Amino acid sequence: MQIDIHNLSFAYGHRSVLNNLSLSLAPGDYLVVKGKNGSGKSTLVKCILGINPVKTGMIFFDHEDINNFSKWPLFGYVSQKFEEFNYEYPVTVNELLSVYSLKNTNQSYRLKLLDQLGILDIINENINNLSGGQLQRVFIARAMLNNPEVLILDEPTASIDKLNTEYFYRTVNQLNGQGITVILITHTDSLAHMNYSHVLSLNLDMTYQFQVRDKCDLEEVEKI
Amino acid sequence: MILSFFSDLFAYEFMLRALAAGIVLGILAPLIGSIVVVRRLSFIADTLGHFSLVGVSASLLLSTLGVSVFFEEPLFLGLIFSVVGGLLIELFRRSYKSYKEISMVIVISLGTALSAVFFSKAKATGSIYTYLFGSILTVNNYYMYAILITFALVALLFLFFGKQIIAVSFDETSAKFLGINVNVFQLIFMVTLSVVVSVMLESAGVLLVSSMMIIPVAAGMKLGWSFRSTLIIAIFFSELSVFLGLWMAYSLKIPSGAAIVSVNIVILLLVASIKRIVQKRQIAKMDKETS
Ligand SMILES: Nc1ncnc2c1ncn2[C@@H]1O[C@H](COP(=O)(O)OP(=O)(O)O)[C@@H](O)[C@H]1O
Ligand SMILES: [Mg+2]
Repeated sequence: MQIDIHNLSFAYGHRSVLNNLSLSLAPGDYLVVKGKNGSGKSTLVKCILGINPVKTGMIFFDHEDINNFSKWPLFGYVSQKFEEFNYEYPVTVNELLSVYSLKNTNQSYRLKLLDQLGILDIINENINNLSGGQLQRVFIARAMLNNPEVLILDEPTASIDKLNTEYFYRTVNQLNGQGITVILITHTDSLAHMNYSHVLSLNLDMTYQFQVRDKCDLEEVEKI
Repeated sequence: MILSFFSDLFAYEFMLRALAAGIVLGILAPLIGSIVVVRRLSFIADTLGHFSLVGVSASLLLSTLGVSVFFEEPLFLGLIFSVVGGLLIELFRRSYKSYKEISMVIVISLGTALSAVFFSKAKATGSIYTYLFGSILTVNNYYMYAILITFALVALLFLFFGKQIIAVSFDETSAKFLGINVNVFQLIFMVTLSVVVSVMLESAGVLLVSSMMIIPVAAGMKLGWSFRSTLIIAIFFSELSVFLGLWMAYSLKIPSGAAIVSVNIVILLLVASIKRIVQKRQIAKMDKETS
């Protein structure tokens, strides 16, 4: 999917977070969004996903205005810390994934995905008993479940250990290799294991740099 | 005592009707209740009960005044008030994303006050008791049909849209990426909840409607290991308490809502304490093995 953002500004009430931001991604691009805490990384993806209503600026998906866009199942999203989820009520990993599967998703693909993410053994566990890292991977599996064209991951490895983080980035690279557009937010991970094509660095003063891979100064980016 | 209860159960039509109503409500309450718990709407269920009570008392007042509103049965006006109330709450929730609980308290107080005024002017203060604490033994045929129709509709809703309802309840944001229109589903659920609350009003009582929905679910959550098992356990506890509650209401001559909810609470306490003891034993055992 082609994604075009034109002069996007966003504020929560009087608190401005994004100012006049523009970028374009072609199908199959892999964008890494970097920036300090509070620089607006999560806010930006929430605008792209229509969770934050865009009032200033425009967003297009395959040249269709976000306000008329309805093909949301083409997106897979893992939110930061998944605070939107209502916990406490017992529900197993398998039940959860069935509920969030579209009709055409098949069981063997689901199992393969869980295996790739290293959580096949907890398929019948109650999600309320999982560790942070396990939970995070369950939500990653959920986002990948319906073969999205665009995968948006907000600090997806924050509570996963180093080894599984490496596996995870390998999986993301594979998906991206199959043509899926990836937008990945991180403010801690090194870019070493990522096959990214673009980097967006957000600064606290609402300036930003949007660079293609070959032209970007990796050392500068890693410093953020 | 329990033997005479059984023989009376099948000897009197009103007893059979109460039993049938109880069995259906025993499924309906925890089914809706589990979604209410997931979405943390218990307080809203309570508020809807008060809306419904205003309709019921207004209906009684109108018939005292000789104005006949399309049906004599208070249930119908109660249902309309509950649904309108539900729609207002939903509208309110959307316009004020971080709405204050205080507005719910105002609505509840207003509902209680209005109902009290209507009941007293209707010279029907006797029925206050029924509607506050429930009286499943006196339900009539109208009420029976209302329960059955509601149950059929809810069953169809869950049969065809259960997956979507559960998806929206656990996580609205992710439900959007299934192509679900989240707002429409919330509206549908709110209307369903309003209808169920008003239909339960007469047998559970306004003060106990939400308890009857939620307490069996709370007990189910203590024992369940999955969504499915939790729901099944909750329905089992709910049916058990309806049955024991009916027996208590009949033989001790106490309000049915109070009886059913008391049994519910005893079950919850038993389940919670047994679980605690078992867990302590397990921990002690593990400590022993490691030391
Ligand atoms: N829902 C919200 N309401 C008000 N302010 C918010 C909200 N979400 C984020 N913010 C503020 O917006 C700024 C950017 O937040 P965020 O996009 O989460 O940054 P990042 O993801 O880069 O850490 C922060 O100052 C944060 O406090
Ligand atoms: Mg963030």
